[in-house]
Amino acid sequence: MEPEVVEAELVLPTHMKFKKIQMYEKYPKGQARVRWKHLKQIIQAENYQNYPPNEPNYVNIESPPSTHPCKRICDITGYEAPYFDPRTKLHYANAEVFKVIRSLPNDYVQRYLALRNAAVVLR
Amino acid sequence: MRETVTVVGDHNPALLKYFDCTRSGPRSAFDGNVVYQFEIMEYAQLEISVMFGILINHPVLITECACNPVQSRSKIAELLFESYGVPSVAFGVDAAFSYKYNQQFGICSKDGLAICSGFNTSHVIPFLNGEPVYEACCRTNVGGYHVTDYLKQLLSLKYPHHMSKLTWEKVEDLKMEHCYIAPDYASEVRLFQKGDKKAEEKTRCWQLPWTPTPVEEAPSEEEIARKAALKEKQGQRLREMAEAKRFNRINDLENEIRDLDMLLQRLRHVAENDIPSILGKTVYTSKQDVESALVKATQSLRKAKGEPVESVEKMDPSSTEKYNLINVPDEMLTPDQNPERYLEELRAKHRDLSEKVEQRKKLKTNGGHSNGNHNGSGGGVGRGERLNSSQRERMRLLTTAAFDRGKGEDTFGTKDEDWQLYKLMSRDNDDDDDDKPDPDEAELARISSRLQEIDPTFIFKSEAGSSSAAEAPRFRPLTKEDFQIILGVERFRCPEILFNPNLIGIEQAGLDEMAGISIRRSEASKGVEERITNSILLTGGSCLFPGMSERLEAGIRMIRPCGTPIKIVKASDPILDAWRGASAYAAAMQFPHQTFSRMDYYEKGEDWLRSYQLRYTI
Repeated sequence: MEPEVVEAELVLPTHMKFKKIQMYEKYPKGQARVRWKHLKQIIQAENYQNYPPNEPNYVNIESPPSTHPCKRICDITGYEAPYFDPRTKLHYANAEVFKVIRSLPNDYVQRYLALRNAAVVLR
Repeated sequence: MRETVTVVGDHNPALLKYFDCTRSGPRSAFDGNVVYQFEIMEYAQLEISVMFGILINHPVLITECACNPVQSRSKIAELLFESYGVPSVAFGVDAAFSYKYNQQFGICSKDGLAICSGFNTSHVIPFLNGEPVYEACCRTNVGGYHVTDYLKQLLSLKYPHHMSKLTWEKVEDLKMEHCYIAPDYASEVRLFQKGDKKAEEKTRCWQLPWTPTPVEEAPSEEEIARKAALKEKQGQRLREMAEAKRFNRINDLENEIRDLDMLLQRLRHVAENDIPSILGKTVYTSKQDVESALVKATQSLRKAKGEPVESVEKMDPSSTEKYNLINVPDEMLTPDQNPERYLEELRAKHRDLSEKVEQRKKLKTNGGHSNGNHNGSGGGVGRGERLNSSQRERMRLLTTAAFDRGKGEDTFGTKDEDWQLYKLMSRDNDDDDDDKPDPDEAELARISSRLQEIDPTFIFKSEAGSSSAAEAPRFRPLTKEDFQIILGVERFRCPEILFNPNLIGIEQAGLDEMAGISIRRSEASKGVEERITNSILLTGGSCLFPGMSERLEAGIRMIRPCGTPIKIVKASDPILDAWRGASAYAAAMQFPHQTFSRMDYYEKGEDWLRSYQLRYTI
């Protein structure tokens, strides 16, 4: 190990006195890494539907969809966007932005749509 | 020595270069605001204990998110009990600690609302009698991470050639320095749309480091004269070459005529019978043949000799005037007659052909590889690959071919041309059977070699020149403005998503609406509601945007009955107050009573852990 790295204490020593079970015992290297469950799977495994619904849990404290009228802004400039382009499915504010939209290559259009979570996903 | 090493700590590029980081990037123990990668969590904790070199043999307080899933809690408890041998553990919500801490200082009262806007999520938790009411708690999955990501995407789309400069860390710095929340989005954006002077003042400009290209001065007199001389020399060379060729041709023709003459002479002096034997040695079959060949040769010789007389006259005026090419009629196209014109024609042909070949190559490679510009962080590989036109076309063909028409008759295959569809679909993209590029490319090669011979200034443009396919052709030198990144509308468009998550497609309520929902869910009486709105605490890193309090106040006033008292205060230190509150709590005398020990955990099990909650007022 290079001296600077050792000094910076970036790399942890393998055996630590205060630990009862060492890291290398618990997570042996070289073996197939334990696949940790992602949040979605954790929530599924929790089985919140078996519990009374008025008890707060991770899922039911989420906010409901907004009741305010939806404000559309132009995808490119951020101005208010009263218009909608049916071909690219982008919102736009005026004719100049429309010209820009129609001249964009397709991957840029998809990226703008992805900002709004509206991109077409072909898998 | 190849071993896998886990590195914990701040991103220090100088030291990280000792490690091969290509296989994996920085990893976080969190998914959203819940810990799920416990190995990484353990490493992080290890780092902390190593730094302090302590043996943990006292109760530990861990902060978590509101309504943390029991699995996460139990794994952390196990981690602490098993690996570290901690005697007892307590879990508490970070926003609650922050609120209690500020309550101690009188910033907020025992009935109030905590609006905590964090990195991944934003919570609104009402407090009644000093305790959080989780039944009325509200969470939206928008936080500082989404704001930074939004800003990064917008800037990358607007300035694609500066993408390398827009790293995550840099964009976060930009966000913290320049972003603010507009009191009313619509009116603010109208200022910018109209080009108002106030909008210009609000626009910030980031100048990237840039070196100006050395400006070429207008060519001076000597330059012009030198260039003219060079051109003349070129022309002279061409003329000389043409002359040499003509000379050779004349010589050949003369030799041929001489030979033919001699042959005819011999034929005349010889008898009829011997003619075939003599002629058998040559290519001619009869005397008439020889005579006609002789006539043809003399004619060509006359023509060849006749031309030099004309073109010499033409060349003298062309050497003095530069623009006589325009006056020359169009038939003069051979290299023998007008060398400069020929050169220009060659150059033009080369340009056209090279463009055509490049285009075709581009189409080919775009069909084969995925688009270089595609968005790495969003979307899977499948989306990036199919986004250019040739790939989409192929997709369209596949879907139309596979689509089961059902009712109508399927007439595919009746005509032979239908089967050509499969050729178009093929991914190999006609490397073998397409003949069309070859003649063009052969022509291009021929012209390039010809130009290389005769034109000293011609540089062979190889296909490597098409690597800049992604950039627009530069017709003018780059200026300072090309290296500027302008933050105008983005300054307040990005934090707006905290109030309006619909802007990034998240169908949830924004911060101001969440406050209303939370108060409604708490089902408090009217008097209590007023007390709640009178003590609203803003905490969490993402509440540091300028203009947040005013906007929240306006938003909450809109949804509450007229005249309710609304008071919004920022926590004394929005980023660290959660920790400060937790440490104050853990230092209290009564703290150990709120913890649970290892025996408790194993005896009572997960269900008990699920309902375990701290009491915050001790």
